[in-house]
Amino acid sequence: MPSAAPPSINGDLPRQFASRDALNTLLAQEFPEAEGELSPIRGGREAADEKLRRIDARRYAKSRNNLKGAVTGLSPYIRHGVLTLAEVRDSVFARIRNRDEGGKLINELGWRDFWQRMWLDLGDGINNDQEPFKTGHDAGAYSRELPTDVRDGTTGLACMDGFRDQLITTGWLHNHARMWMAAWLVHWRRVHWKAGADWFMQHLLDGDPASNHLSWQWVASTFSHKPYFFNRGNLERYSDGSYCDGCPCAKSCPFEGSYEQLENQLFTPIPTIPDSGKSRNQQRNRQSRSSGGASAALARPKR
Amino acid sequence: MTFQRPILWIHEEALGANNPALQAWPEAPAVFVFDTRWIQDAKISRKRLGFLYENALNLPLTLRKGDVAAEVLAFARRHQADGVVSSSAVDPRLKRIGEAIDAELPLGLLDPEAFVELPRPPRLGRFSRYWREAEAVVWKGYSPAC
Ligand SMILES: Cc1cc2nc3c(=O)[nH]c(=O)nc-3n(C[C@H](O)[C@H](O)[C@H](O)COP(=O)(O)OP(=O)(O)OC[C@H]3O[C@@H](n4cnc5c(N)ncnc54)[C@H](O)[C@@H]3O)c2cc1C
Repeated sequence: MPSAAPPSINGDLPRQFASRDALNTLLAQEFPEAEGELSPIRGGREAADEKLRRIDARRYAKSRNNLKGAVTGLSPYIRHGVLTLAEVRDSVFARIRNRDEGGKLINELGWRDFWQRMWLDLGDGINNDQEPFKTGHDAGAYSRELPTDVRDGTTGLACMDGFRDQLITTGWLHNHARMWMAAWLVHWRRVHWKAGADWFMQHLLDGDPASNHLSWQWVASTFSHKPYFFNRGNLERYSDGSYCDGCPCAKSCPFEGSYEQLENQLFTPIPTIPDSGKSRNQQRNRQSRSSGGASAALARPKR
Repeated sequence: MTFQRPILWIHEEALGANNPALQAWPEAPAVFVFDTRWIQDAKISRKRLGFLYENALNLPLTLRKGDVAAEVLAFARRHQADGVVSSSAVDPRLKRIGEAIDAELPLGLLDPEAFVELPRPPRLGRFSRYWREAEAVVWKGYSPAC
């Protein structure tokens, strides 16, 4: 699209930059309070189209839970309307040979649409707990402040410090990393979901209260029937052990243990609904949600 | 829409060429405003601002910063506009800004293309309820190539 520069008057921000550094400098001058540097992820239609071209819906379905899986990286462009969900949907349609191949990815696009519709309904109410916590702990038991070691990435946990570094430098995290980090902050560190969600919003290029706040609430259990948590085996598996190898805390890992052990450690007893045994793997996150949360005990990834 | 000389307000939810306001009024002057209060209150990092900036540079628009409604209205005066056209938003903050603009100068909103057009509002609450109604409609648009 041609973007002929409109005539400029005082106070108009520049449209011409000799380099990305020049944009960085301008932003530092105009928005001195905004922290950090530019992300390596670039804005603009060209960058978005490049990501569209790389969509591989079949590989996506098989590998999306893995940090190295074939996820699209489209969220920042979708969030800001560079691409509409309708365009992404049509791109997926154009690339698949049958409905099966695109089912998973189209379903995930549906999640975005769903959260947006929820936000339209909830308005500013999205900032509040939608339901009571089902962790056995009172809302007041959760800290409203993000701990400094978390913000600074000095907890000593290679995975969490690593996710924090990626969040701060790139403004994007894999869905599984977001889930682990949220679960760790809320359930292990006892931080209120809103403190974590606000921190994510400062940094995520795709930061969007609809997907962000409601996912945090889903993890916390204020928008689901049961808290989401994970264990070391799950994290190790879907990160190919890349964090655990060489982690200074590997011998005292807070995520070590069976789901039963961790559940006893993290939550005070509340009635649970037994696992129906239907879910095969981590996909159950979706299944428990898409089964209306009826089998909320499934909010535990299997190893 | 009955405007003769509108300006376009482009906001954070529709920074693409398929923005319905840009599509409907390709010749109209357009503006994007960095919301300084939101940036300060939500402590938005520079990465996000740079990303928004790079998206905005793709579009034929003027970039400003400050109080969004005031900036949009000033831009309208600058172009002797008789109205403002924008795309409908989900974010309540953007809706409030729209209302503040509309209190001074008529604002016309156009809907971006929907992911799925449902005959009636779907039941929300849980994804499964929504998807039960939406999935088949989404897939109606698909036909295998060969
Ligand atoms: C704690 C937490 C916070 C999150 N915060 C945000 C946020 O602020 N903004 C945001 O866009 N997403 C958020 N998500 C959802 C999801 O993590 C991201 O959309 C996804 O990781 C983006 O990467 P991708 O584009 O490669 O996704 P892909 O897996 O390639 O999916 C394609 C597109 O589908 C949509 N999508 C996929 N998964 C989800 C999902 N679970 N919920 C909603 N939409 C989805 C996104 O638009 C995404 O770009 C959050 C998830 C969690 C658990």
